[in-house]
Formats: sequence, structure tokens, C-alpha cells
Amino acid sequence: MSDPKLKFLVVDDFSTMRRIVRNLLKELGYTNVDEAEDGAIALQKLNSTPFDFVVTDWNMPNMDGLTLLQTIRRTPQLKHLPVLMITAEAKKENIIAAAQAGASGYIVKPFTSATLAEKLQKIFEKMGRPA
Amino acid sequence: MSKRPKLDESGDSDDLQALFDSIAAQPITSPSPAVVQAVAKDVADDGAGDSDELQALFDAVASKIEHTEEPSARSGSDTEISGSSADSDAVFNRIGQMTRQLHDTLRELGLNHALQDVAKAMPDARQRLDYIAQMTEQAASRVLNATDIARPLQDRTQHASAALRARWDRLYAGEMSPEEFRVLSADTRAFLGQAESDSRATNAQLMEIMMAQDFQDLTGQVIKRILQAAQTLETQLLQVLIEAAPPTVNVEHASSLMNGPIIDGKSRDDVVTSQEQVDDLLESLGF
Repeated sequence: MSDPKLKFLVVDDFSTMRRIVRNLLKELGYTNVDEAEDGAIALQKLNSTPFDFVVTDWNMPNMDGLTLLQTIRRTPQLKHLPVLMITAEAKKENIIAAAQAGASGYIVKPFTSATLAEKLQKIFEKMGRPA
Repeated sequence: MSKRPKLDESGDSDDLQALFDSIAAQPITSPSPAVVQAVAKDVADDGAGDSDELQALFDAVASKIEHTEEPSARSGSDTEISGSSADSDAVFNRIGQMTRQLHDTLRELGLNHALQDVAKAMPDARQRLDYIAQMTEQAASRVLNATDIARPLQDRTQHASAALRARWDRLYAGEMSPEEFRVLSADTRAFLGQAESDSRATNAQLMEIMMAQDFQDLTGQVIKRILQAAQTLETQLLQVLIEAAPPTVNVEHASSLMNGPIIDGKSRDDVVTSQEQVDDLLESLGF
């Protein structure tokens, strides 16, 4: 099982959603959570402090979640970070674009805490396996 | 979107001015030009004459056609016919152009009205939507705050109950000394007091959560108003499109990756409507 000390970065432009995700993560035992309100701020934080996991929305001002994901995958010191997208974008081409950009998981809103737990579990399992 | 610049241009008063100028410059001495000019002046004054005035203008121009037609119709000799027919061709052409211009202007004025309404409705709708955003955010914060307060209380009750239950189980199993039992009794009494006050506090937070739902009534009313405005706008814009669109319109489906929540997922096949479908799609792609 994964380390409860894992440091999460929750990226969403709505504070309510950030709080909900933070609460769900806490419920799952992850209390080390920081927040960013768009992709640009997230990148600043990722570049200045080490994080273990990124949970991001798609549609945000300044820098959207897909661009954030692509930037993370392009940046040598960040590219191994797991990135889970939690978004209201539900078009098939969105999901395909996210998968192609290297998303570790994709959750459509509205979602349940069980879904979040399951996707995290799946991502940790994949990370545990040698690539 | 591609329609807009055209619509904006059509409201341009330069067009109207050109029309008035061309009418005013007509060298015809029938009684109608005075009417035309007077009506034209009215239209120019308020910038967007109503349809009665425009109808009058139209009638005036139409009567002008009759007046100019009369002399050639009444003329008797052959030479006169050939001479005046060249003149009347030019006049007819000119009148044809003017009628066309008038028709365009009529249409444009119709668009103008629609656009004015749109322009008025937009800031109002924006304000109302702002209000909804504020109210729902407030409600969400209140609920999250309430759960932040109530959950530790519930956790405390849950843990203390479980601990006491284990100790009582030991008592019933005959594994507890009288001294331990005295302590257990005191602890249980203290717990009951704590449970009572925690329950009261939790109840207050549940009440707070309930009260936070009052936004629904307020935003519901506002949403209905916006829906009405949107419906009016839709009708007007549709009318504009029907009137102004060329016969073959290229309907461009904007393809974007940022659309927000899908409202009509059931009727589309390019979107997913459940997490299972997301997972299936990703799996089919090999992820």
C-alpha cells in the first residue's frame, strides 16, 4: 500500500472542488496536501517544492490541466510524477487526448470517493510495477 | 461568430445616411419627394424608425414609380415613346436600386432591434449569473465548514464509544476488577455528558447545512429569469439568421477540448456519461 506521507498537489480553479478533493484524500489517509488554483501556479509549486502526486482539473484559467500535464511530462525532473485528472470534460476526444499526453488516470465529475480511492489504488499499483 | 461583424455593420448609420442622400437628391418633381424627405428626416432623427414610418417611405417611393410612369404611358406618338423609354429605363434602374436599398435597410433595422435587445439582455444575464455563482459558492463553503466542525465531533463519539464498549465487554466477560469497574462507571458517565454536548453541536451543524440550501430557492428564481431571456434571445437571433443568412450556410461545429460539464450526454455519442465508460475507453486504448 502507498505511503500516507505522500505529498499531493490538488489543482482546480474552484476552491470548493479543491476542498472536496482535499477532504476525500484526508479520508483516504493522505493528509499532506497542497493546493493550486491553476496550471501556472501548480508549475511554480512543483518547481519549487517536491511533490509525489498531482490531481488536476482540466478547464482552468492561465494554464489548463492538459497543458500542465504536457509540461510536466516534458520536464525531466517532473516527468515521472503521477497525474490524475478529475474533470467535467467528458468528450471522448478529451479522454483520448489526456491518455496520449500521459495522464495516469481520468475521473469525470461528478465522482465519488470510491472512484477516487480505486483510481489512486490503480495508479499506485502501476507505479509499484517496474515500467 | 462569423455573422457578427456583418450584423454590426448593418446597423451602421452611414448606410442610412447614404439612402437618405440618394432619395433627397432625386430630381423628380412629383409630390412624393417632400413626403419621402420628411419621412427620411424622421428616420434619421431617431436613428431607427419604426415600421410605420418605413412603410410610409416605401409607399412614397412606390407612388413615385406610378407618377414617373404616367407621362410615358399617356404619351401618344412613336418618337416620344422611344425617347422617353430610354429615360424611363434609367429611372426604373434607379428606383430598383433604391427599392433594394430600402429593403436592405428595413431588414437591417429589424436586426438592429434584435441586436439592441441582445445588448440589453446580456449585462443583465451576466449579473444574474454572477449572483448564482456567488450564492452557490457561499452555500458550498457553509456546508464544507459545517462538516469540518461536525466530523471531529462524530469521530470523537465513535472512538470513545468503541473504547467503552470494549471495556464493558470485558466486564460482562467477568474479566474486570471492582476497582476497574468503578473507573469504568465514572468514564461512562463522563462519556454520556460528552456525547450529549457533541450531539447538540453536531445537530447545530446539520441545521447549518440545511439552511445553506436556501440558495436553491433564490438561484432557482434567477435561473428561470435567465432562461426566459435566453429563450427570447434565441428566437430573435434565429430570426436574424433566417433573414440574413445566405442560402448555403456552413455550419461549423466548434471543436474544443474545454466544454465544461456535458448537459445532454444521453443524446450524443461523442461523450461519456459515466466513469465506467471512461475506464472502458482508456482500457480499449491500452491504458
